[in-house]
Amino acid sequence: MKRRAFSVALALSAALLLLPAAHATGLATCDSGSRDGWQTQEKLTAMLKEKGWQVRRIKEDGGCYEVYGLNEKGERVEAYFHPRTLAPVPTGAKDHKG
Amino acid sequence: MSAEVRVWDPLLRIAHWTLVASILATWITAELKLDAAKRAHEWVGYAALAVVTLRLAWGWIGPRYARFSQFVRSPARTLAYARAVIASAEPRYIGHNPLGGWMVVALLASAAAAGLSGWLSVTDRFWGVEWVQELHEALANTLYLLVGLHVAGVVFTSLCHRENLVRAMLTGRKPAPGPGDVD
Repeated sequence: MKRRAFSVALALSAALLLLPAAHATGLATCDSGSRDGWQTQEKLTAMLKEKGWQVRRIKEDGGCYEVYGLNEKGERVEAYFHPRTLAPVPTGAKDHKG
Repeated sequence: MSAEVRVWDPLLRIAHWTLVASILATWITAELKLDAAKRAHEWVGYAALAVVTLRLAWGWIGPRYARFSQFVRSPARTLAYARAVIASAEPRYIGHNPLGGWMVVALLASAAAAGLSGWLSVTDRFWGVEWVQELHEALANTLYLLVGLHVAGVVFTSLCHRENLVRAMLTGRKPAPGPGDVD
């Protein structure tokens, strides 16, 4: 009986583990409202390329654009930009207005 | 109080608990969304890789119970052991039992894979590359799942054979082999 109880407990904890983990947002959040007023990722990419960046990936994170890339000095950066203004958002910023 | 035998050598135990601490730290630093945590995550990842490398080497040159040749059993023997567990008739092993032995291999392999993919994700070549980031997450989640199963296996085996295997990994000692035990 002890074995059976243990097996049930094990199955339950495995099921809990497999539930998708609720993921908190990243290093910053932006108060960016509805998507209608957002500028495109393409525009942000073009703007950063202009500065000499190499853009690897842009994803949305906490209402901000999160950019992975190499900056003009060739350093690896993970940077946040406001989707409305495309202004840099300092990491740690909460509900950045842009 | 019956006699005890020395099973787990000091280096093996230090490696085990250092790996526990560093895997726990990778999880905490990955969940905390702070710049400092990201840097710490990178360094605990390297620490975990170093421990895994050490443990792999120890599996070839270490003392008897640390060696892969002592505890990695054939698939047939492992399956037979699993059947015996289901029938509540498995023998006690002084070193790792066949399922535990394969768990050691799986844990070391997934820790190495998670660590190496994390390393890859912070090279200039693969920085920000989506599939590398996703591979690293998947491998890390596999590792955490295996850790959970490992702990469950340890508790289960401890209850079945009425010995405290967590204590054995701390002290290095286990009750001496009795009749029917596999040494």
